[in-house]
Amino acid sequence: MSAADQGACSEVVRLDGHVVDSLLLPKVLDAIVDAGASYEILELEMGTTTLDPSHVRIRVNAADEAALDALLADVQVHGVNREDASDAELMAAPADGVLPAEFYSTTNLATWVRVGGHWIESGRPEMDCALVVDPASSPEEGPTGRPRVRMVPMHRVGAGDRVVVGWRGVRVETPARADDADGFGFMTSEVSSEKPKAVSLARVAASIRDARDRRERGTGGGRVLAVCGPAVVHTGAAPALARLVRDGWVQLLFAGNGFATHDIESNVLGTSLGVSLGEGVLSEHGHANHLRVINEVRRFGSIAAAVEAGWLRGGVLYECVRAGVPFVLGGSVRDDGPLPDVISDTVAAADAMRALLDDVDVAVMLATTLHAIATGNLLPAGVETYCVDINQAVVTKLADRGSHQALGIVTDVGLFMGDLADRLCGAEP
Amino acid sequence: MTALGWGRRFLLCRPVHFTVAYEINPYMHVQVHPDPEVALAEHDGLVTTLRAAGAEVEFLDPVPGLPDLVFTANAGVVDGGTFVPSRFRHPERQGETVHDTAWFSAHGFRVTPLPGDEPFEGAGDVLPFGAEPGGGGRPVLVAGYRTRSAVGAQTSLGTLLGVPVRTVELVDERFYHVDLVFCPLDERRALVAPQGLDRYGCRVLGELVPEPVWLTDDEAASFCANSVVVGDVIVMPRCTPRLGRILEGAGLSVAVSPVGEFLKAGGGCRCLTVALDVDLSAPVAGSVDEGLVHELP
Repeated sequence: MSAADQGACSEVVRLDGHVVDSLLLPKVLDAIVDAGASYEILELEMGTTTLDPSHVRIRVNAADEAALDALLADVQVHGVNREDASDAELMAAPADGVLPAEFYSTTNLATWVRVGGHWIESGRPEMDCALVVDPASSPEEGPTGRPRVRMVPMHRVGAGDRVVVGWRGVRVETPARADDADGFGFMTSEVSSEKPKAVSLARVAASIRDARDRRERGTGGGRVLAVCGPAVVHTGAAPALARLVRDGWVQLLFAGNGFATHDIESNVLGTSLGVSLGEGVLSEHGHANHLRVINEVRRFGSIAAAVEAGWLRGGVLYECVRAGVPFVLGGSVRDDGPLPDVISDTVAAADAMRALLDDVDVAVMLATTLHAIATGNLLPAGVETYCVDINQAVVTKLADRGSHQALGIVTDVGLFMGDLADRLCGAEP
Repeated sequence: MTALGWGRRFLLCRPVHFTVAYEINPYMHVQVHPDPEVALAEHDGLVTTLRAAGAEVEFLDPVPGLPDLVFTANAGVVDGGTFVPSRFRHPERQGETVHDTAWFSAHGFRVTPLPGDEPFEGAGDVLPFGAEPGGGGRPVLVAGYRTRSAVGAQTSLGTLLGVPVRTVELVDERFYHVDLVFCPLDERRALVAPQGLDRYGCRVLGELVPEPVWLTDDEAASFCANSVVVGDVIVMPRCTPRLGRILEGAGLSVAVSPVGEFLKAGGGCRCLTVALDVDLSAPVAGSVDEGLVHELP
């Protein structure tokens, strides 16, 4: 499959007139192919007599915007015209954090905005944002001198920012469907408790391996994000996840106060919410164990400081600190403590998550509903997303909120992560 | 042969104000001025030749400051009593339209502007040919686009006049109007200069014209296609012995009418004339009931 087939950049054009007898249609199609682009005839209305003009709608796919522009300029002389030739309408934001009433609300799909006759791809897609068009960049910022388009969440818009309103001059594209022999497809929200787990496991492992290959090629992308709920610790999946972090399979981690607390508690006291992970029984006065752990970390000032002091000597967050894997802990109203690393301003927490998402192209959501949905809201649709949960409803919920690319794996996260770590890191002796 | 059903009545404009004042084609050089007296003599010679061939000639009044008004082929397109004025691509020639329109209006033509705003340079870029199979015997408009006229304008013209259009791309700027690459000789034959066309255009004309006469490089470059056919006489700016034999073999008498001063502005015999008797609604003679009769000499 060539770059052009993947429709990196496409435009719907029209060709009208006596285009069959004059060989204009074959000429235009030849010109498209000769330029290394591809086409798809969307509509072909043939004139029934030699007097009747024919009408053709063609989708032209080119490798990039520049190639598409050059090709369309070439074939325009043959009567080929863009179907949607209007620029996006822009309106200034009336105040900081307030959008114009008719603002265009984004999806998590790759989005182009037409400004000054050119289609410009927005920065990293994120759903439920506004499109802000920055003036043409200065020469030192890039050779194009074209405006830049950003997806900006409502609270980050500044008074006077030029915001796209209405739908004209905005184009979104779905990621190419991968037609692998095994029928793997990311554009599915398929979820079932009755799928063979080994197949799902192999897919996740292959995705993470592919990501590592991209990372090592240095061509951008290839970071793997783990999003963790407290059940990762309760079910005994944490040691497997810690191995994955230690061996370099995870580059970013999102969680909340609960996961972090139990991860630390289990490594310092051997319990999770007071339940002994070794014996599965409530330890004496165990109900306060997590509070004591939080209190100690607060004394150190941060999780990293607790690691440096030698107080915390194992676990997922320990491995993150050791490996320099960044993590964001987002807070909630029911948090105990919380740990000093927890960002309790949820808007600030989401911003901290956003800031780290560049180059993430695999996300694994592990036994978490709230953090999975919060992260799903921030991820572009092109990110391969796996949602591992014993509860089918979590995956459905994620898909219902727009993260249609999520592949659900309904299983016990403890067993699943153990198998995944064995596959990627080698079986434990 | 079945002679063309049009080409017995022409509009010309005497070269009183003709010169090369700007450069809008590769032949024009403002340093190379045509000789006014020679130009007038050549023009008079063309008029005489046309009349001798049996054509009526009418005149448009020359206008100071519009040197290319002499090239009346670009005034517009005639269809019966309708005149569709041109929309010149270059501002240098846009001032001609008001004078062209005034003449046609004053002479009983209904002036119908082409919709849209794309450039369109009249009979210089649109020539009727033959009969469209299944088209009720109506001629086809062979239309050139790219250098001067836009393909969209040619399509609109076909719709406006209710005739099929074959648009061919003019790919060589030396042949900037279709009347430099195509000249209907009769209902089956036409001169075609493939040098000015791409392979699609060659194929379109090769399929449209039952007996095309393909010009050599020298003939094409010598403006041989920029000729005027009056019945069985072809009035040419230049001719080669080879082409002369072919034309005479096809039953045409060749009359060379030198227009060297006008070639300095990129125009030949056809450019200096516009046929006033084109009627696209009339069935092409011999095309419907009689079948095509090919008379060999």
